[in-house]
Amino acid sequence: MAHLVPDQFVDLADGVLAEADVPHLSTCADCRRQLADVRAMMAEAAGVEAPEPSPLFWGQLSARVREAVAEHPVRRSWRDRVRQPRVWIPALGGLLAIGLFALRQPPEVLAPPAPSAPDSTLTLHVAPPLPPAGGHAVERAHVPSLPPLGAADDPQLSLVVASGAALSWDEMRDEVALSSAGASSDAVFDALTVDEQRELQRLLADEMAQPAAPENRS
Amino acid sequence: MAAVAAGGPLDQLDEQQLVAACLDGRAGAFDLIVERHRRAVYQLCYRFVGNHEDASDLSQDVFLRAYRGLKSFRGGSSLATWLYRIGVNVCLNRVAVKKPLMEDLDARQHVDSRRESQVDRVLREERGLQVRAAIAQLPPKQRATLVLRVYQELSHEEIAQVLGSSVGAVKANFFHALGNLKKILGTEEDLA
Repeated sequence: MAHLVPDQFVDLADGVLAEADVPHLSTCADCRRQLADVRAMMAEAAGVEAPEPSPLFWGQLSARVREAVAEHPVRRSWRDRVRQPRVWIPALGGLLAIGLFALRQPPEVLAPPAPSAPDSTLTLHVAPPLPPAGGHAVERAHVPSLPPLGAADDPQLSLVVASGAALSWDEMRDEVALSSAGASSDAVFDALTVDEQRELQRLLADEMAQPAAPENRS
Repeated sequence: MAAVAAGGPLDQLDEQQLVAACLDGRAGAFDLIVERHRRAVYQLCYRFVGNHEDASDLSQDVFLRAYRGLKSFRGGSSLATWLYRIGVNVCLNRVAVKKPLMEDLDARQHVDSRRESQVDRVLREERGLQVRAAIAQLPPKQRATLVLRVYQELSHEEIAQVLGSSVGAVKANFFHALGNLKKILGTEEDLA
């Protein structure tokens, strides 16, 4: 009968395999001796104890790791940056705003322009100025037309120009919630140093982690 | 759901959420990973190099590498297994270029010895030094297998994940490691 293989010795020593399940063991002195050696060496190795460092060591190790990490910051690729919520959420909002705005246009504005006739012209309207801080409604701009563009201009430009002429600031603000406030906060956030950004994130996380204040029932 | 949970207190996050929080740049997330695994990583390193100073340096190196490679952690294994894999590689690289310097008896911080005589304690520690020196002479994979199995108490399946080999290969390495350990110790006893 064949001798035991390493797998069997290890399983027997681990107790995963019962000796009764290996009939060869009862008839082979070599395998019994080898199994005893395996068990003895496992016990010998396990008996070597490692010294326990000082309790203060663990804090020191953490501090060393923290310093090493700070000295070797990971540079993120542009893909990783784009995946950050503070980047893609405003971008997605902008895309949605443009999409909603486009859907609200009358079909004739969105329709592709007719093929240009040799004498066709295009009138360019100037966008209205931004409203004052109070934000009263601004009437659709009535500004003098600029000199007509030539027929050789990109026909897609006519769509942009027509859309811009139909643009009402209040309509954009009220209906698609477009605001410059987010961009401003992003700019401020980007102007912070890495440490300041971390501290701001920590403060925000702490603030959000606090339980909501009970309602005032008085 | 993971994203929502990842916004909660760090100490309530599971491993995957903690890694995600770390990758999102949440302050303190990696500190918590270090805190949870520093003891196991240090002990692994100590078993390889046999002295506190090198084990401390290697532990720092393991965590630094883990931090830099964190986005490659896919969660296919536990974070501990992933850290062990880095640890074994770091330790094997180190011992390949620098012979481990085992601490002598006086430098070691001692286990409870109140129940044994002074002579027994010295004999036990002397034997421990011999065994550690013998383990240091094992081929790299056998040494790694023995350390992970006996001291870190990983299963053969977990060791296979750490070393990137099969369970059968792990058992064979373990068997041969024990056989070689016996030979080395036997040779030393014959010489003594």
